[in-house]
Order: sequence, then structure tokens, then C-alpha cells
Amino acid sequence: MTPTLAGRIQTRILLFIVLGLPITLIYALAVNDFIWFWPRMEVFFRFIATVFLIGLILDPVYIFLQTLRWDRDWPFAYQFFFSIVEFGIALALAANGLIPWLDSFDFDDGPEIWTAIWHFTVVFIPMFLALLGPLSVFFIRWRFKAAQFGKI
Amino acid sequence: MISFPVYFRVRQLGPDGTPTGPARTLKCDDPGTFTVGKSDDADVQLDGAAVSRIHLSLVLAARSVAVRDEESTNGTFVNGNRVAEVALEAGDRITIPGWELEFAPVEAEAQPGTAAPQAPPAIVLSRIVEGAGAPPPGPVSQLAAIFGSAPEIGLETIRASGHPVEEVRFLSVGGGLGSFVWIDHLRCYGIPAGQVATIGTETVPYRTYQRYCKNSQIPDHERLRSNSLSRPDNIWGFPGYAMREVGKRGFFKGIFQVFGEPTLAESYTPRAGDVFESLDVEARRIGWQQMFRQGQARGLRKTTDGRYVVAYQPRGEGAGGDRLRFIVADVVHLSTGYPATRFVDDFQNFVAQHPERRGLVANAYEEHDAMYAAIEQTRDPVYVVVRGRGIVASRVIQRLSEARKKNPNLQILHSIRSRLGPRDGAVYKRAKRLVRNNVEIQPFNWPKSCWGGDLRFEYERASEERRGVILNTLGGTSTAERSDWVEIAERGAEEGWYRVVYGSISELDPIEGQADRVRILIRTPEGHNEELFAHFLIDCTGLIADIRRSPFLADLLDTYNLPRNHAWSKQGEKRGPTGLKVSNDFEIEGLRNNRGRVYAAGTITTGGPYLAVDSFLGLQYSALRSVDHLVTERLHAVPDLTPFRSLGGWLKWMGGSTP
Repeated sequence: MTPTLAGRIQTRILLFIVLGLPITLIYALAVNDFIWFWPRMEVFFRFIATVFLIGLILDPVYIFLQTLRWDRDWPFAYQFFFSIVEFGIALALAANGLIPWLDSFDFDDGPEIWTAIWHFTVVFIPMFLALLGPLSVFFIRWRFKAAQFGKI
Repeated sequence: MISFPVYFRVRQLGPDGTPTGPARTLKCDDPGTFTVGKSDDADVQLDGAAVSRIHLSLVLAARSVAVRDEESTNGTFVNGNRVAEVALEAGDRITIPGWELEFAPVEAEAQPGTAAPQAPPAIVLSRIVEGAGAPPPGPVSQLAAIFGSAPEIGLETIRASGHPVEEVRFLSVGGGLGSFVWIDHLRCYGIPAGQVATIGTETVPYRTYQRYCKNSQIPDHERLRSNSLSRPDNIWGFPGYAMREVGKRGFFKGIFQVFGEPTLAESYTPRAGDVFESLDVEARRIGWQQMFRQGQARGLRKTTDGRYVVAYQPRGEGAGGDRLRFIVADVVHLSTGYPATRFVDDFQNFVAQHPERRGLVANAYEEHDAMYAAIEQTRDPVYVVVRGRGIVASRVIQRLSEARKKNPNLQILHSIRSRLGPRDGAVYKRAKRLVRNNVEIQPFNWPKSCWGGDLRFEYERASEERRGVILNTLGGTSTAERSDWVEIAERGAEEGWYRVVYGSISELDPIEGQADRVRILIRTPEGHNEELFAHFLIDCTGLIADIRRSPFLADLLDTYNLPRNHAWSKQGEKRGPTGLKVSNDFEIEGLRNNRGRVYAAGTITTGGPYLAVDSFLGLQYSALRSVDHLVTERLHAVPDLTPFRSLGGWLKWMGGSTP
């Protein structure tokens, strides 16, 4: 991938809306035995939004790293690795009570942390796979437009 | 200007492609058109089962000398590549089955001491084509008479000429990979095959490309320097070639390579044969045969009704002799590829002056398999000089190392201009190109972001001069990182059969009394001279594309006074002309005709708005730009490829159904 900052942000937002939010909804329902009870589902949305925000904050850093590479690209392995880093940061901050809209109790060791890890995994894998090519099926100009949408 | 007489050295070729017997000289005293073939009517008769009755014509004019294939069954080749019509330069080799004709504007000096016996006398040919008794005018002069000198031509004039006229909406001239990719886009956007036509000399769209691959030692089972997602048979680039190969070579290796490249694994590249196979499938799906017209494009003119007319001379089955045909189209796309190979000057001089030693030197892009065959047939010491440090040199050295298995006394001398230390790689802003074994390393022929990253934007936005400087900095010779290539260089140096010689070749001469070697003098960077006596020299410094060598493009440039791009030095000095100037949408704006549009793609647009024009993905980019341009300008009812239409098209591709 050879995204620009605008491309990273646009793609991140799109994937968050079309994959992140719907999958989170299904996951939240599944964890609550498919009973709609918003107070117990809300935390999943707050958490996935936190990971999304941390990604947005890190995007300029990634762009800087790209400029150090001769090909100015972002290999899939980097994308994979740094997505996990973003999750790790979100988890560490939440567990230490540093995210005001997340209760550190929800990210304690034990079953809570596994709920978060599984949540991240089911959201992250489809997002990563979408970047490997399926996004181009809908947006053929995306790969030539540095991961931005619209006409070239 | 050509000074007459001009000479062609004619030699018979053995079954392995090497010259047998002495050379004869064909002397042409005056301008004119001379036919070559096995018929009694041919001006020059050459026998052989595979030679056509009239195989080719030599077209000698005051300003240029050209060769034209006359619809021969087995083709005419110039420097190893099949041509339809091409202007010749000194030293160019025309080959037809069993024969070689070499263009030598001056007569070679007699070589005292060479093993060859006294050369037989020259065949003298001179003929005046004009005047009484002249043969009927050929298609080229017929066309000049129809087109006249006006830049626009009425359809009634074309019809009145009595030649067949066909009307389509979209026409691509070239019929190679560039045309294929453009038409594939049109078809996937929803244009029916009946509205599209393409003119080309080869019935298979990848034939020319495949020939370049074969000559530069990439047989079908070897890998190209191309990305998994750069699929000329799939406008979406998904699923990539790596996925296709997954079944064949184990799930994890393919997946891991694409996932880990270029940091954890070597970059994935597809096999040539797999690419060709996939192109065959797509050609059937989009109805290539229905759209394809076999022939050689002769000229293009604007029509008075806001369209274009392209004249072509049909070839192949049902060609119907000399009759020209015309196609009138609203939108024309030009993707004619490399007009012909041109060599670096010293090489060109050598082959022009010492035709009898032509078999000892080769450009890597011309057919030179006879060299490897000769090396493998003996166990005597053979010295081969490989010049250049690009990817082609890597491949040639790989091929030579295979030949070493049959002839362990083969010595490879690798001539490269200067030492390149680990820190000497090109620098662009904060990044530096990696260097290994004196060669700059890059997975593809441009940095990756030139195709669709920030460098594409930066280059497109830059001024003409700045583009030239960027092109110079990011381009240049590089090779891919492949462990087998590194191993050959390291093991060869250790075992003493591979040696790097630094310096530029300053002299290239025959050796008196030794017909099987050339003398190569290399001036080292320290100012010493190193003298090499080599059995073979393989020049891997690349091809020079001169678009004026295509008579079709030269006529277009002159008739419409079209501007060209220019090369620039790293310091920003303007150099010689390169490709046709096109807009960022790949339109040749000088040819705009009311609602008619002409686009170009591929190597003929070098120096224009995009760096990687000469690549699979680059062809897809330019096709996308030009087809999208028709959509945004609302021309000729090209429907937009919106996300859901795109998905629909992709599902059809996956299912193998017609778009």
C-alpha cells in the first residue's frame, strides 16, 4: 500500500463505518445473548471508537515513517503489526483508567480482557483483509489515488 | 539525410541462427523500394521454405531507410523483434527465416587476416520507381494520395477512394498489451464489443511483450518484475496472481510472501507463463477476436465531422492484398509500443563497422540464444563480458551461470561503470536507495509510490522541468533483490569465475587474426586501461525508444505538429525529445476534434504525467484515466463505474461471464 495522510484517514473512516460499527453491534449482541440492552452494549462502541481515535492520532507518524522508506510504501506486514500496536495502546490506557469514557473495570485481567481481545480480533481481521484487495472491487481508483476515494 | 549508395550485408543463417558462409553485399545506388523474397519477381531473391514469395520491402528514401514486412507468413524481425514497418539505423539486423540482412550505410573495410575468404562481389541494385514502367503504387503512396495535405478529411473522400470503410465508436491502435488493457476497461465499464475495434500486427496481444521477455532470458516459467496485484487481465487487481498461485505451491508460501514483502520476504512476482495464460482467458471473455483487425496502421487524420479516420493495411487471413482499409472512430487510443530497438552509440558503431563480428556482440533484448548454445557446446574457456547492472544483466548472468553447468570453463566478466558503495544509492528527500553488490536494489523499476502513492501526485503536479529532475533521480538502473542472484555473484567471485570490472568501455574492436573474439578496452575510474579479449559481449544497458522510428507516429507528429516531452538532466538542463506530450488524462490535446478525442498509453508517452507508463499497472492507470475522462466529459455515452456497478463487473469476471 502507498497511502497518503488523506488516504489513510478516508480509508480508516470508511472501514470503521462499514465494518467496525456493524461487527461491533453483532459482537455486543452476541456477548449479551442477543438481548438488546444498550447499557451493557455501549462499552463496545466506546472501546472500538477509542482504537479508531488512536489510529487517527498515529497516522501522521506512519506517514513520516513512509517518507524514510525509498519505496514510500506501507507493507501489509506493517499494517498488521501497527494495528495490533494501536489495540495494545488502547487497552493499556483503558486498563489504567486513562480514557475518561472507559471504565478501567471493563479491561481488568481475566474474562474482561478476553472479551476485548476477541472484539478487536473479529473487527480487525475483516478490515485487514479488505485492504488486501476487496476494497478495489468497489473502488477501482482507490489503489491509484493513495487510498483516497473518488475520481483520480 | 541518407547518402547513397547504401549497403545491406546479406548472410545465410544456420538452423541455430548463426551466420554460415560468407556475406554478400547488397548495394543500393538510388532511393527506391526493393522487394525481397523467393519469387522470381522479387528484386532480391532469397531461397528457403519459410521465406515468402515477397517477404519484405526495403524502402529507401532521401531522408530515411525503412523495412516493411509484406505480410510474410513467418515474419520480419529487426534486432530480434517482429516488425511491420520500421525505420532502420546503422547496424540494425533484419532477419527472416534462414537469412539476415544488415543495414550498413557505409561499406565495411576489407578485413585482412580474417578467416573468411575473399567476399564475393556485391549484388548491385538500383531502380527508379517513378516514371514509365514503375510498378503500381503501393499502399503508402495510395494513402498519401487519399489523405492529401489537409489536416482534416471528409468522409466522402474516404468513401470515394473505393476502399472498405468501417465505423466504430472506440478504436485502439497497436493491438498489444496497452490496447488490451484500455479495451478491457471499456468493456468492463459496459461498452459492447460491437462498438470497439483494435488494429495490430500480432494476433495475440502479449506476443511482442513475450518476445522481449524470451530474448532477455525470461522464459515462461521465470518470474517477471511485476506485482501480484498488477494484473493486466483484471481491472480491479483482485484477486492477485499470488492468490492464483496459492493452490500450486502451497498455501503458506504464497500468502506469506505477499504479506511479508518486502521486509520479511522477497517481493512476490508472477511467472510469465501464468500472466499469458490469464490474458488468454480474459481475451476470450471480452471478445478480443471479434474486435481485433490484423494489420499495420498507416496513418490517422481528423475527419470534418469531428471524428478520426485510421488507415491500415490488412495482414493475415483474408487480408486481400494491397488494399487499404479505413476505420472511422469517435475515440482513438494509441499504444504502439517500442517502435524498434536502438542501441547505445559505441555498440551501434561497432556493429555497423564490423558486420562480420556481429555474432560476437548482442544487445540483451535481441535474440541471442545462439551465444548460450555456443558456450554450452564446448568445454574450452569462454570469456563473456556482460555490460550493465540492471535487472536484465542479473538475468543474463543467471542464464550464464546455468550455462556454466555444461561448460565449467566459462568466465563471466561483469562490466559496470563505477563502484557503488553501500552508501552510494540514489537519494530522494529523506530516503535512500539500498545498494548491494554494486547495484541499486528496488523491487520494481520505479519506487512503489510512483504508481499510486504520494510520488504519483508529486510528479503529476510538478512543472515540466521538475518532472524531468524527479524522473532522473527516481529512475536509473536497479535490480530486484533475489537470493539466487546474490548467491551467483558471491559464489562466482569466490570460485573465480565471476569478476566485476569497473570502468566505461572506451574501445570495442575486432582482433586481427582472431575471428572469434573482440577486444574491449575499459577505462577504469582510476584512469587505468584494462584490456579484455572476450568471445562474447552482451550489452544489458537497455533500449532506447525513438518514437519517430515509427512511420505512423512520425507522420502524426509532422501533420499536426504535436509537441513532445523532453529528457532533463539532474541539474535541470533540457535534453533530447522523448515521448508524445499528453495531458494528465493521457489525451493528446493537439488532436482534439470537436467531440472526438485521442489518447495514448505506454512507452510512447515517456516523460509525460506518469513515471511508470511502461508497466502492467501503469497501463491500467492510463486506461483508467482516459476512460474516466470520457465519463467526466460526458462523451460518447461511457457509463461511470460506480461502486456497485464495479462489484457487478467483478462478479462477472470471477464467474467468467461476458461483461
